[in-house]
Amino acid sequence: MPSQEPEIKNHIRRLRFDHGEMTQDQLAKQAGVTRHTIMALEAGKYFPSLLLAFRIARVFGAPVEQVFEYVGQVPDLL
Amino acid sequence: MSDSEKWAWWTLGVVVLTIAVYGAFVAFVKSGHAALVFGLLALAALPASRRRYFPCRHFDERERAIAIKAALVGFYACWLAFAGLINAIGFIKGWNATLTVPVWTLIETLCWALILVLGVQSLTTLVLYRGGPHA
Repeated sequence: MPSQEPEIKNHIRRLRFDHGEMTQDQLAKQAGVTRHTIMALEAGKYFPSLLLAFRIARVFGAPVEQVFEYVGQVPDLL
Repeated sequence: MSDSEKWAWWTLGVVVLTIAVYGAFVAFVKSGHAALVFGLLALAALPASRRRYFPCRHFDERERAIAIKAALVGFYACWLAFAGLINAIGFIKGWNATLTVPVWTLIETLCWALILVLGVQSLTTLVLYRGGPHA
């Protein structure tokens, strides 16, 4: 039975496209990170801190849950 | 390529160069102290003298996370090597043995430890930049 590892998906690429085809560099400058970090985020290789997630969401003028999406089940610790 | 990756490649180059020159020194130059070769390690500080550690240089959270992880792995490797060396000496020479070590040997050992830290740290930096979750 395949286990579904929880992960955070994001819609940054689509949101950039929706915002006048904003470049990764433009987004990086507005969010206060490097372009490499935006690339890693879009590729799903890096999960941002809560602070960065909110900053990116603010750049797009959208709530954070429209930018980032938690996929998977919450682990049952009880 | 980010500044951190450039630093890692540079440092790795310095480490490889130092090891190669040390090997050549030991193989072909019989006189003198090979430990002098470790002066080449000073080249590793060149990027730092330019802009990597300038106060105005901005590191974002991912770069900081990678730098911290890489430094930890480097020192962890050094600690493992240290524990291995101590145990090897203890088991071979006996735990109550007394060692008389020339100062040059002590200096070389410290330089090899530095090479290990720098090498592992730069390799880890490169690996973390190339992928994996949270990298």
